[in-house]
Amino acid sequence: MEHIMEQMPIVIQALNIGFLQTLKLFFITLIGALPFGLIISFGSMSKFRPLSYLCKLLVWIIRGTPLMIQLLIIYYFPGLVLKNPIWGSGEVGRFTAASVSFVLNYACYFSEIYRGGIQSVPAGQEEAGLVLGMTKTQIFFKIKLLQMIKHIVPPMSNEIMTLVKDTSLARIIALQEIIWAGQAFMKGSHGISGAIWPMFFTAVYYLIFNGIMTILLGRLEKKLDYFR
Amino acid sequence: MSILEVEHICKTFNKTEVLKDISFSLEKGQVVSIIGSSGSGKTTLLRCLNFLENPDQGVIRVNGETLFDSNDAATQQESAIRKKRLHFGLVFQSFNLFPQYTALENVMLAKELLAKEQPDYKSRKKEIHGEIQKQAEGLLQQMGLENRMNNYPHQLSGGQCQRVAIARALALQPDILCFDEPTSALDPELTGEVLKVIKELADKNTTMIIVTHEMAFARDVANHVIFMDEGVICEQGDPHEVFEHPKEERTKQFLSRFTQG
Amino acid sequence: MKKMIALLLTATMVLSMTACGSKKEDAAADSDAAATEDAATEDAADEDTADTESADDTSAESDLEYVKDKGVLVVGITNFEPMDYKEEDSDEWVGFDADMAKAFAESLGVEVEFVEIDWDNKIMELDGKTIDCVWNGMTLTDEVTSAMDCSNAYCNNAQVVVVPADVADQYQDTDSLKDLAFAVETGSAGETEVDALGLNYTPVASQADALMEVSAKTSDAAVIDLLMAAAMIGEGTDYANLTHTVELNSEEYGVGFRKGSDLVSALNDFFAAAYADGSLIACAEKYGVQDAILEQ
Repeated sequence: MEHIMEQMPIVIQALNIGFLQTLKLFFITLIGALPFGLIISFGSMSKFRPLSYLCKLLVWIIRGTPLMIQLLIIYYFPGLVLKNPIWGSGEVGRFTAASVSFVLNYACYFSEIYRGGIQSVPAGQEEAGLVLGMTKTQIFFKIKLLQMIKHIVPPMSNEIMTLVKDTSLARIIALQEIIWAGQAFMKGSHGISGAIWPMFFTAVYYLIFNGIMTILLGRLEKKLDYFR
Repeated sequence: MSILEVEHICKTFNKTEVLKDISFSLEKGQVVSIIGSSGSGKTTLLRCLNFLENPDQGVIRVNGETLFDSNDAATQQESAIRKKRLHFGLVFQSFNLFPQYTALENVMLAKELLAKEQPDYKSRKKEIHGEIQKQAEGLLQQMGLENRMNNYPHQLSGGQCQRVAIARALALQPDILCFDEPTSALDPELTGEVLKVIKELADKNTTMIIVTHEMAFARDVANHVIFMDEGVICEQGDPHEVFEHPKEERTKQFLSRFTQG
Repeated sequence: MKKMIALLLTATMVLSMTACGSKKEDAAADSDAAATEDAATEDAADEDTADTESADDTSAESDLEYVKDKGVLVVGITNFEPMDYKEEDSDEWVGFDADMAKAFAESLGVEVEFVEIDWDNKIMELDGKTIDCVWNGMTLTDEVTSAMDCSNAYCNNAQVVVVPADVADQYQDTDSLKDLAFAVETGSAGETEVDALGLNYTPVASQADALMEVSAKTSDAAVIDLLMAAAMIGEGTDYANLTHTVELNSEEYGVGFRKGSDLVSALNDFFAAAYADGSLIACAEKYGVQDAILEQ
C-alpha cells in the first residue's frame, strides 16, 4: 500500500497526459460528428436517389463493421496498399487517423438517431408551418429542430457516454490514451515497473468524466422539459 | 366578382380518384359548409386550396387572380406557392400548434418571420415586434384566451388549443379561412366554445370554408352548403333548402343518419 | 429547391473525396520525391501487383536511400526496460536498444525517431512505412523471420516460467509443469514453447497481462522473456510474490526491417564495427545486459 502512495504522483501525472489525449479525441469526435451526422442524415433522407443510396451504403458499412477494424484500415491501408503512409508515423498522424475514424463512425450512428428524431416530428407541424407561409428552412430551424433535439437527447446521451469509453479503442493504432498510459506501468514506465493498479485506476477517470456528462446531459433534458 | 373560384379540380392518389371535377365559387363575406361522409374528398379539397396537395387538373382563382392552372406551368412554380398560400388560412383537425412556443408565440411566429423580409425591418425592429404582439394579443382576447397567452399548448385544453390555432390562422389576415373538421378531435363538451368562436367570425363577415360533421352548426352558420359524396359535389345550395328539402337520394340518406340519431 | 440541395450535397461529397484523393497524391509526391524508385512502382501499379517479387527488389534497392533522403530513421518500439524505456521525469528514450539505434542512425547521418507501436501490428507498421524497423528486443521466431528481413542476432534471451514464489520449488523442471494452467502472450516466442511442450495455456494480449493472470491466480503460471522477467517481477514491483524458474529455450534478439531492405546489411556492418571497437559492449554494460551479448 505504501508503494502505491509513493507511485501515485508519478502515475497520476502520466495518466493525466493520457487522459488529455482521451479528452481531445472525445471532443474532436463530438465537434466533427454532430454536424457531419446531420449532413449524412439529410443525405440518406434525400429524394435524390444516388445520394440517399450512397449515404445508406456508408452508414451500413460503418455500422456493420467494428470500429477497431475501421481504425486499422484507416491508419494502415494508405501505407500498406497505396504505398503512401499519408498519416505519418508520429503521434500527430496517429491522432489524426483516429479522429477521422471516430468522426466517421460516430457521424453514422448520430445520423440514424437524427433521422429518427426528424421523423418523429409529426407531419402536421410542417403542414402548419407551410400554410402559415414559412419556408422549409424556417420550418426546420424554428419548428422542427427543437422538437427533434428533445427527442434525441436520451439516445444521444447514450452514444456520447459510449464514445467516452470507445476512445480507448484508439490504442490499437498506438494512440497513447489513458489506458495505454496505465498499462505502460506494468512493463515499466517513468521508473515504475510491474505496477498493475494504474491500469485499473484509469476507470476512475472514465467514471468521473461520465458522471459530469450525465449531469450536463440531464440538465439539457430538463431544460427541454418545458414543452411536450 | 367572386373572391374564390374553383373550376374542374381533379385529384388522384395511387389510381384512386379522390376529387372528380369539383367546381364552386364563394363570395366575399360568405360562409360555405362542406358536409359529407368520411372519405368523400372534403379534406383533400381543402388541402388543394392550401397547396398542401397539387390538383391534377383544374383552376383556382382568388380575387380574379389565377393561383393555379393545371394547363399553365407558370402557376405551379414551387417558389411562388409560399406567397399564394397566404391567401388562405387553414385550421387543422388536430390543431398542430407548435409545442415549444406559448399561445402568444404561436400566433406571432409566422408574422414575425414574414416581417423579417420587409426592407425596413432592421431599423423598425422594436416597433414591428410591438405591432405584431399587440395584434396577437387582440386576437387571443377575441378568442377568450386573455388569461392563457403565456401557456404552452400542453397546458391548454383541446378547445383552448383550437382557439389558439384559429387566432394563429387569423394573424396573417387570409382572404379565406378554411376549417378542416375543427371540432372532431375535441371532447363533446369542448366543441361548443370553438363553434361559438367560429360563429362570431361568421357574424363579422369573415369569408370561411368549413368542413364539418356538426350538421346543426353547418345549417346555422353557413350561407351555402356543399354536400360531397365519393369525390363529387352531389348537391349544393341554401342551407335550409339542402337540409330540409334535399333533392338527391344520396343527400337524403346521409342526412337521415343525423336526424335519426 | 430540394433537388438543388441534394445536388449540392452530392457535389460536396464528391469534392471532399477528390480532395482526399489529391491529398494522398500530394503526400505521394512528397515521399516519392524521396524515393524515386517507389514512385516508379506506384505509377506502374500493374507491374507492382503482377510481379511482387520484383517490386520487393525495387524497394530493397531504395530502402537505405529512402531513409537517407527523408533524413530520419523511424524505430518502432514498445516500452520495454532495459531495451527501450524512459527515465523518470525524462521524455527521452533510453535503453540498450534505444542507444544502439541512436548510434546506428548517426552512422547513417540521419535523425532517429522512436514510435511506440502496438506489438501485434508491427508488420503492418513496417510494411505500411509508418516505421522503418522494429528494434525492441525482438525474438527471432519463424513468424518474425518470414515476415521481415532481420539483422544478425545480437543478444541472447530465454523464455522462462513465472510462478508464485511460495510454490517455486515444486516447478524446477519441465516435467513438473504439465498440470499447470499457463498464460502466455499471443504470438510470442513463449507461446511457441508452451505449445511445443503440449502444455495447457490461455493466450493473452501482452506479457504484462500474462503476469497479471498469475498474480490474480486466474492462471497458475506464465511464460515471458527472461530480460523482461528480470525487470518486472520480484522485489520492489507489484509482482514481489512472483519468481521465475525453468528456462524453456534459449533464443536470440534481432532487428527487423522490411523484406529485401538493404538496411539489414548496413546494420550488420554497424554491429560488427561497434563490437570490434568495444562500444557495443560498453553500451550493454550500461544497461546490465552484457552477459547476453553475442559476438558480431
